Amino acid sequence: MSNAEYRNTMTDLLGDSPATQALVASATRSFPSETESLGFRNNADYLGVSTLVAQGYVDAAEQFLDAIAANQTFLSCTPSAGAEMDCARTFIQNFGKRAFRRPLTADEATQYAAIFDKALKAYDFDTAVRTTAFAFLQSPKFLYRVEFGAAPAGSAMRPSQYEMANRLSYLFWQSMPDQSLFDAAESNQLSTPAQIEEQARRMLRSTKASRLLEYFDEWLGTDTLPTTFTRDATLYPNLDPNLVPLLQQETRAFVTSVLSRPEGNLSDLFTAPYTYANADLAKHYGLTGATGSDFVKIDAPGRAGVLTQGMMLARDKATRTSIVRRGLKVRLDVLCELVPAPPPDVNLTLDTTNTASLTQRERLEQHRTTASCAGCHDLMDPVGVVFEGFDAVGRARSADEQGAAVDTTSTIAHTKDANGDVANPAQLGAMLAKSEEVRSCYVTKSFRFFYGRDADPADACSLAQLSQSFKGKAYSLSELLIALTQTDAFLYLPVQSSGSP
Amino acid sequence: MKERLSRRTLLRGAAGLGIGLPLLEAMMPRSASADTPLAPRRIMFVFQANGDQTKRRFIDTGETSFTFDEFLAPLEPYRKDLLLLNRLDRRYNKLPSNERADGHQQGGASLAPWKSGEGAFPIGGADQSIGYVTGPSADHEIGDRVLKDNPGVSTRHLVFRVNTRENNIWNVSSHAGPVGQQNPVNPETDPYNAYTALFAGNTSDPVAVAALAKRIAMKQSALDNAVAEIGSLRAKLGAADQQRLDQHTQALRDIERSLLAVGGGAACAPMPFSTPKLNVFDDDQHEELGQLFFKVSAWAFACDRTRSINFNWSGNTSNRVYKKLGMTDGHHDISHISDDEAFAKVRVIHKHLWEQSVTLHELLKATPDGTGGTLWDNTLVVHWNELGQGDVHSENDALVVFAGGAGGHFKMGRLLDFQNKASFADMLVSCFHYMGFEDVMSFGDPLLNTGGPLPNLKA
Repeated sequence: MSNAEYRNTMTDLLGDSPATQALVASATRSFPSETESLGFRNNADYLGVSTLVAQGYVDAAEQFLDAIAANQTFLSCTPSAGAEMDCARTFIQNFGKRAFRRPLTADEATQYAAIFDKALKAYDFDTAVRTTAFAFLQSPKFLYRVEFGAAPAGSAMRPSQYEMANRLSYLFWQSMPDQSLFDAAESNQLSTPAQIEEQARRMLRSTKASRLLEYFDEWLGTDTLPTTFTRDATLYPNLDPNLVPLLQQETRAFVTSVLSRPEGNLSDLFTAPYTYANADLAKHYGLTGATGSDFVKIDAPGRAGVLTQGMMLARDKATRTSIVRRGLKVRLDVLCELVPAPPPDVNLTLDTTNTASLTQRERLEQHRTTASCAGCHDLMDPVGVVFEGFDAVGRARSADEQGAAVDTTSTIAHTKDANGDVANPAQLGAMLAKSEEVRSCYVTKSFRFFYGRDADPADACSLAQLSQSFKGKAYSLSELLIALTQTDAFLYLPVQSSGSP
Repeated sequence: MKERLSRRTLLRGAAGLGIGLPLLEAMMPRSASADTPLAPRRIMFVFQANGDQTKRRFIDTGETSFTFDEFLAPLEPYRKDLLLLNRLDRRYNKLPSNERADGHQQGGASLAPWKSGEGAFPIGGADQSIGYVTGPSADHEIGDRVLKDNPGVSTRHLVFRVNTRENNIWNVSSHAGPVGQQNPVNPETDPYNAYTALFAGNTSDPVAVAALAKRIAMKQSALDNAVAEIGSLRAKLGAADQQRLDQHTQALRDIERSLLAVGGGAACAPMPFSTPKLNVFDDDQHEELGQLFFKVSAWAFACDRTRSINFNWSGNTSNRVYKKLGMTDGHHDISHISDDEAFAKVRVIHKHLWEQSVTLHELLKATPDGTGGTLWDNTLVVHWNELGQGDVHSENDALVVFAGGAGGHFKMGRLLDFQNKASFADMLVSCFHYMGFEDVMSFGDPLLNTGGPLPNLKA
């Protein structure tokens, strides 16, 4: 499990409430950040349980034992002297089913009863409850999603009913199944694509679906802002001290609004001339229309959806915008292109003495006259300059750091189908939104995050199914999520079963 | 193996019968205990980022008459215990272009001199995404060998990093391998956590000891159960999943050893940190956080919990803004600029980091070893950087500083110029030899080695 999945799973296991959320947040505070791969932190190939991770699971689980021992959903009986194991077995069934996210096998029930019995004999009933719960929480069957599949369906293997319940819940909620999913699994109601789609639509409407915003946080990089955003206080005085969380909430509120409308699509994501802000954020941007602490939709003329939201522009430097980084983000994560590394021993400087009076744009243009630099900078810089109308904290501006009038016109090249002249971010966003390269990139990114792995050659059909569905639903973001439950990759197991931690 | 099982059996008895843990400690074999007078050798890698300015390292480059220029000046008081290895070549541009990323990534993995895999980051490879390096780092391998030879040592290696939260191909310097596998070791970023994981069991309060015994029994039971379950799952899974489960099993064994590691002899005197806690991701407190990690490191050595530590002042490519030094731009951003003003800032930052790093020297000198000397006498500190010089991303011109008594293994007090004819990986081979593993004649990809340990280092 990723850290987010662990936190959500523990929260739902213990019973979601503000107190539970606080307990889980505190207990998992020191979990090491997961290994990043292709922009995400949930790729199962990189989620190995190292010593530090395993230590985190041990330390965290200890802190949940009070809550588990006090929870009558798990401990639904009172032990009577001499017959404690009767009550113990009830606890093991109740807690074990939720921890393993499926009913226990008879062997597993016996195995955990033995753990209980041993602790009971050495200590007391309460200690035995804790010891048993602790063992469940260290079990690979809790920490991994292990799939063995049900009976073969033709040449392929389908997930079992409970495995399908888990696939759905971890896709939409980044967490364990709820009671409805358990019930559906129990009564074989997760068999046909239609049944699965019906559950998917129910889950997407649930408030728990807000957990899938983790995808946007990681894809766009808003999750790393708290540790990467630094601005020089002299050049950027009086910034709102809560600017980073405000920028994170802006994008979450915006994306939520796009997802909440069935027709909300890729074009909205990259072209919306509006955003979501509260009074503080609107003040920062110099926009009007928001007065309270709630985030509401406001007009943002000249903006282009997520491309020009503060979180996107905030990947700049401490003292100025970064044309290169802005362009690089679009290249890597909107177009899914590769950018080679700078050649070895290249002189990377832009700030040589004879160019000191030039603007960043002009210096980069000069830089690109060197062939070894142009190879990569032709990819990044022409995209990045389009955003020069916004400063390094995301505010609209007409002059750059040196006082020169900003020039956002550019010619985009080296894409498959998004080349051409653009005058501003709105035009760039419109061009990106109708690019097959960008649409395909969005599908690939969604595949990676929501399936928790990179696509391999065997997934070609599933990717094609997704692209087809995406197109058929006019590039609706929410419909793509539903489509993710209808692919071969989702409905079947690979030939070799695999576990995903 | 036999050792481990017998210790566990004892512990179970202790939990059931209420025997105090201090008694257990006395029964445990510990290589640092009074009846083994030879102090163990330790190694600690200390990393600072973004390259320096190669021509401003030294004023005089004589082997023994060397003089430090400005940013290395904080090392002067230690010169008789230093071996300065200048101009080592990392050689990773000898690797095919799809098997290496840029200097920050490949250089940042210098302790693990293997080719990079694919699939983790879209910058670097010529026509595919680049991955993490595909083999273990020296801190991990040395620690692994120490564990095999010394059942009393609980922890393979400690990996610490100040401030940086994210773990990506740019900023992870420790790797677990095995060869052929991408398996980065994400570092501990919280010194308080590091302290607790190592020393929570060090208590003489009888109530605490009894409570601890109960908790250990609970954990032991869960670890046994998990290892058994992994064993039965493993048989049903494919090779990649099996490797993942093997790593998990190894992690559980590591925790088990930590659970049982208490006490550690007369020199083992860890002290809980005072509260309030620092914010571990606050760049403005990197000095204090580094000091806390240094304390944990010194105690871990003194208590013989581990003999291999990988400490990092930041991730590679660190863009920390050194506000207290008057900086407004990030370190990485500054390091990419070639003008005099930028180099002046780079020198200021490096001098600052060297001033911080030598506090480790002081701490090691002040910490008794349990054998009459101090940790400094039997520790090798290996100071390194991912680049030679930042503005040109140089893979060569690496400066590595060996510091410490190092058990008398090296002839210290010297500056050696390798003129980029020997490699960083060769230097790691010398580290293996220092630790007593003289069978190691090459470490990492053959293309990154030039053959054997560095010449002319030993006493």
